[in-house]
Amino acid sequence: MELLGIFKDAEGAARAVERLLGEGFVEAQITSLTSVPYPDGVLVKTSQRSWFRWFTLGCGIIGAGVGFLLAAGTAWLYPVQTGDKPIIALYPTGIVTYELAMLFFMVGTIVGMFLEMKLPDFSRRPYDGAIAEGCIGICLVIHPGGEPVACEPGVEPTECVGPIALLSAAEQKERAEEIMGDAGALRVVAEVQP
Amino acid sequence: MSELPVPAKSATQLNDEMLSSLRPPTLRWYVLAFLLGAVVAWGLYAFTYLVTTDMSCTGLDRPVMWGIFIVNFVFWIGLSHSGTMVSAILRLSQANWRRPILRAAEAMTVFTVAVGGLFPLIHLGRNWVFFYLIPYPNQRGLWPNFRSALLWDAMAITTYIIGSSLFLYLGMLPDLAVARDRAKGWRLKLYTVLAMGWRGTAREWLIFHKASTLMAALIIPVAVSVHSIVAWDFAVTVIPGWHSTIFPPYFVIGAIHSGVAAVITLMIIIRKAFHLEEYLTPLHFDNMGKLQLVIALLWSYAYFVEVQTTWYAHEPIEWEVYGFMAHKYTFILLLMLFGNAILPIIVLCFKRFRRSIPVMLALTLLINVGMFIERFLIIVPSLSHKNMPFVWGTYSPTWVELSVTAGAFAGFALMYTLFAKTFPMVAVTDVREYESQKALVPLGRTRVPSLVGKE
Repeated sequence: MELLGIFKDAEGAARAVERLLGEGFVEAQITSLTSVPYPDGVLVKTSQRSWFRWFTLGCGIIGAGVGFLLAAGTAWLYPVQTGDKPIIALYPTGIVTYELAMLFFMVGTIVGMFLEMKLPDFSRRPYDGAIAEGCIGICLVIHPGGEPVACEPGVEPTECVGPIALLSAAEQKERAEEIMGDAGALRVVAEVQP
Repeated sequence: MSELPVPAKSATQLNDEMLSSLRPPTLRWYVLAFLLGAVVAWGLYAFTYLVTTDMSCTGLDRPVMWGIFIVNFVFWIGLSHSGTMVSAILRLSQANWRRPILRAAEAMTVFTVAVGGLFPLIHLGRNWVFFYLIPYPNQRGLWPNFRSALLWDAMAITTYIIGSSLFLYLGMLPDLAVARDRAKGWRLKLYTVLAMGWRGTAREWLIFHKASTLMAALIIPVAVSVHSIVAWDFAVTVIPGWHSTIFPPYFVIGAIHSGVAAVITLMIIIRKAFHLEEYLTPLHFDNMGKLQLVIALLWSYAYFVEVQTTWYAHEPIEWEVYGFMAHKYTFILLLMLFGNAILPIIVLCFKRFRRSIPVMLALTLLINVGMFIERFLIIVPSLSHKNMPFVWGTYSPTWVELSVTAGAFAGFALMYTLFAKTFPMVAVTDVREYESQKALVPLGRTRVPSLVGKE
């Protein structure tokens, strides 16, 4: 379940994040929703690692292969004798290989970006139109409850479970709503349960 | 007396101003769209006439078999260069003044390359067999000849139009989400689909910035390759005047020259039409003017080198082409040199002129007139006086070719006008990000810009 607090300014939002962390939630459970980017750490801290550029690289290599096969492979399969020129012309093959590699690089960048962002996503996740008008959303994923997992070296940030997880989901939600309200949230929106 | 601080605008005010182009169209807008549509319809009629008659209705005849359609092709592909390239270079160099002009430049690229890509198809004559250009196995006993520079064009332009469209879309993604949150009716549905469910999470912003930087780095070599390949259409032949090693860089420089000029022209039109005076300020024209000055100097240098080498070698057939061009097309040759080199270099040296909107409008329009002439003078004189004097000839475009050309210009303007009414013409989130970075924070006894941007 997700909970979204809407704040008028960055100060209130940052205050809410600090208090949520103090209460036992972990960074991986909290994210900000903003219509302009904020530097990492101003509101929340997020992992700087991403994998989509490897996907881009893979696509580019595939594109180069496709381009080479298209130009050189087909010339080899369907030879056109032109004087004493080679069947596979290196210069044109290089051009076609380059263009298709670049095309696949660019398409791979966009596809990889969306895959890593997990978009498109048209499900009804908590959101508020006020975010487009400059308000800041602090979105909290409520843990269903269980044993805490400390954020120690060797533990992926997404696998951390804060001590707040000892409480039930309903109690966690109640605490979080209270904290956001105290920090100056204009309103708190909960995810609509199916 | 010290200057009073200007109160910062709220996000809502900034959104209102920058998304003003999305307001319902006025009567003037409809009149403009109708007029442009009428010219496009006339161009389509001329094209239909061409298809249903044959190529004899054009001015093409031996020895000049490439005419105004190929001039248009080179001109429009050249125009397409700067939009994406300027945007990408400024994005990579993190020049903050780029922010309000990004969208205008990127959209220009997409529509100019779309128009430019049509001209080889129009030029085919038998347009219905255009798919012969597409390299795929077939049962006709034909196989695409990869040695042909025309097939390289097909590959390069396809790559560029897809790449520049993706680049435009990528930059618009957060703005589409802002537009979605304020839209109703069909716009809401359109923006919802295009925004892909963007919520602006910290993770989405992080990946978005990495992808934007990567796309900017990828699109620049593609842009350079496209116009180099267009130059190879000419340079890999043995036609006098074309067979030159300087052609690819010369074409790329010429493309940037016309493209930067077109971006400035469009900035001026958008600024006036959508009342964006606060966002497209004299500073932007000053900076773009400096860029234009550098490109004008480079273009002049490349042109001088090309002519000087030919003049010094004095190879008879090469010099014949230049002599024919200078005698037959004296006026437009001088107009080209004046519009592309002499006037821009003189005028753009002065800050006062670079910051003057009317001067910049007149100058950039003249540069593109000059660049269209330059494309004409590259193509027609060389073909008119090739190696065999007994087939020398001349070329004049007919009403069909001129009508298709007029239709292309109107088509570009119409597409741009429709785009401007449908999508945000200023990069809203980019500008707002910069505004928030400039927000004043207290420091000691004063307030200074926070400038919390990345290093």
